[in-house]
Amino acid sequence: MGHHNPDSPSHLKHYFHDVNQQYETSKFAMWAFILTEVLTFAGLFVAYIVYRSWYPDMFVDAHKLLDVNKGLMNTIVLITSSLTMALAIWAIQKNNKKLSVVMLVATFIFALVFLGIKYLEYTHKFEVGQLPGEFYSYMGPDAAHLNNPHIFFSIYFIMTGLHGLHVAIGMGLIAWLIYSTQKGNLTSEYYTPMEMIGIFWHLVDLIWIYLFPLFYLIG
Amino acid sequence: MSEHHITPLKTYLIIAASLLFLSGVTVWVSYIDLGSFNIVLAMFVATVKASLVAFFFMHLLWDDKKNLTMFLMSLMFFGIFVTITMLDTGFRGDLGLNPETKDPINKRAAFYDTLPLTDTHGHPVDEHSDEHHEDKDHH
Repeated sequence: MGHHNPDSPSHLKHYFHDVNQQYETSKFAMWAFILTEVLTFAGLFVAYIVYRSWYPDMFVDAHKLLDVNKGLMNTIVLITSSLTMALAIWAIQKNNKKLSVVMLVATFIFALVFLGIKYLEYTHKFEVGQLPGEFYSYMGPDAAHLNNPHIFFSIYFIMTGLHGLHVAIGMGLIAWLIYSTQKGNLTSEYYTPMEMIGIFWHLVDLIWIYLFPLFYLIG
Repeated sequence: MSEHHITPLKTYLIIAASLLFLSGVTVWVSYIDLGSFNIVLAMFVATVKASLVAFFFMHLLWDDKKNLTMFLMSLMFFGIFVTITMLDTGFRGDLGLNPETKDPINKRAAFYDTLPLTDTHGHPVDEHSDEHHEDKDHH
């Protein structure tokens, strides 16, 4: 009937039968959102696949203009941030608020490092003119023989840019988690937002797992 | 919510270590020339890594299977998207019907002012031979 049991926790909405149903519903909705995220990136991955099949040689040559070390560093940073995010949830499940906040702060810092490295990469490319479409002007000796390198950089900037935007949004969400957890709003009884944002953050990691070899490690 | 599965700390650490190890592996094999097998291997390693993240970090292994179904559906639609697109773009051939493979897409790009036009293999493009080709198709 939806009547509120006086014993039911305050976070339970009246339209759910019990906390577990509420939790499972939230999680299923989160996965529906993840589906839309995957399909958003799918369009860009299709663009990558089509253009790489049209210009296989150009992709191999143009990718040499990217810095593998920075890409690998970002991969390590993002995997580590995924671990700290998972551990933040593990800690709150054990009702260890202090450890959970520490892990969330670590995740936030790793995200900041990721964007910092990305910023260094982007500024270098802006300086030398390795830019998308008609803005491409790089004429270095390692690029003189390239045909249509601006297509590679269009796809590179759009895909890593959209990914970077997700990192930035994730940072905002994690900052809110730090505040909520510190305030005591999230406990082992109710940590749904942390679980959901955790799934989002791991998706960001998951997409980078594909972007790294596709852009930095071709052939 | 005590009924929720709590993944042991050890599992998380092993998964993270595996992910870091596989990242090293994928960089290492990229320096070995395996021809077209490089991309296959790189995508295989990436998919193993992605599965570890999805099943352990995103808890899909212990979740109700409806969440995994939702995720796999997104991958299935991605597969349809790629397949149908490639059925077009992959079979246009070199018939002069696809100007992109012969000419630069964006001739306004700054660097074309100083570069001669080349095909995907870096050979100079003779625009007259293109027109000749088209003529042959039309008559």
